[in-house]
Amino acid sequence: MISKRFVIKRLLLLVPVLFGVATFVFAILHLAPGDPARVIAGQRASEEFVRQVRTQLGLNDPIWVQYGRFLLEAVQLDFGDSYQIQKGTPVKQILRFKLPVTLEMALYGQFLGILFGIPVGLLGAIKQDAFSDHATRIGALAGISVPIYWSGPLLILLFAQVLNWFPASGRIASQFDINPITGVITFDTLVRGNFAAFQSAAMHLFLPAAVIGIYSMALISRMMRSSMLEVIRQDYMRTARAKGQGSKITILKHGFRNALIPVVTVIGIQFGTLLGGAVLTETVFGIAGIGTLLVDAIQVGDYPVVQGTVLMFAGLFTLVNLLVDVTYSYLDPRIEQ
Amino acid sequence: MHSGESTDSGRPHSDRATGGDGTRDDSPTPRERVRQLGRALLLGAVLAGIAVPVVVLSGETVRFASEKVFAVGALVFGFSLLGWSGSVFAGRGMENFQRYIGGRSDWSEADSRRAMTVLGSVGVGGMMGASLATWVVGSVV
Repeated sequence: MISKRFVIKRLLLLVPVLFGVATFVFAILHLAPGDPARVIAGQRASEEFVRQVRTQLGLNDPIWVQYGRFLLEAVQLDFGDSYQIQKGTPVKQILRFKLPVTLEMALYGQFLGILFGIPVGLLGAIKQDAFSDHATRIGALAGISVPIYWSGPLLILLFAQVLNWFPASGRIASQFDINPITGVITFDTLVRGNFAAFQSAAMHLFLPAAVIGIYSMALISRMMRSSMLEVIRQDYMRTARAKGQGSKITILKHGFRNALIPVVTVIGIQFGTLLGGAVLTETVFGIAGIGTLLVDAIQVGDYPVVQGTVLMFAGLFTLVNLLVDVTYSYLDPRIEQ
Repeated sequence: MHSGESTDSGRPHSDRATGGDGTRDDSPTPRERVRQLGRALLLGAVLAGIAVPVVVLSGETVRFASEKVFAVGALVFGFSLLGWSGSVFAGRGMENFQRYIGGRSDWSEADSRRAMTVLGSVGVGGMMGASLATWVVGSVV
């Protein structure tokens, strides 16, 4: 049982993290060259109009007033309106539609990574130094070493161009017009009972999720293997076997849960990398998620969108780590102490 | 070491806690900590107080100088906040990991937290100093 005190303590720790990220983003954007008022008004706008825009945005206020206002609005999840990308649209609304796109891809990728990474790592540990162990280790090494911008086009070339099994880009075939409920397209199509659309969305999602999943799987399987190898050599495992328990039961019942602790940590940290990797994956597969939004916002100097996106990333990452901590304390209750 | 014996800094050890395993706790006393933070705050304020007029003298506007110097202070403050939170979140894990891999580093969660607090004070001092210097320079220029 996980204690409430532990969870509350961890939740409270999120406050300084998000405060730190908010301050960091505010500082970076104010140190970066460029005038947001000029960006909004356009390059050919008169000085008078630019001054007007500046007053409207509150950019004429002292910097500490701007900082205080930014923090106050960030607490209310109000990041203002977009300057450029979707002029006048609240950033909160833009993120509401873009975030599920990236989350869906990252979660499916992570799911694939866990689904294959844990059994492969287990197999490697149980059959140490066998052919299968060598093969999976080489595979894992390749998975970690190959960057997304290389594995992505390679998969597109093989599965979309040569074999024609999966589509190369987009989220769903153009003939389907799905009104978003949550923004998670596979979920939305299922809820609406449109199975043909669901199949199309799943086919479109497979390659990007696989690209993300390969990297994740490689890391998880490596961690699982080394962690399991260490657990197998523990005295309590030897005792269990000496008492006549079968080796499969010993491994699954006693070893697996203990070996899972470092793997859970890697999965948590990995999630942040997946969100970062989403920028590249979305670019390669032409998916309009939060990653491409961030890159576009930086390129055109849309500061509210940059601030909102970065804070959202940070919030997500810290929440996932909170989840990892809670799982951690479930697997090993001593950690709560 | 006996109680009352001098340390390198000349202070007696009698006001320091002793760990349960008999080892001496090197953490500074609350008064020392406050003094350290005050010094860091002052350092940040002085640095920012110098930076604002220097930037103005180099030909930039007071607004520009104020924004940039304040932002640098905020950057330091934000970085230290993240460092502090990171130490609290993962510090114990890092310590255990070091022990696990047999590393001989002196890094510890408590030291890291303390260092980040000092750095954060420099940042806050910088932000305050920039605000104050802007007010002073603005009324002169």
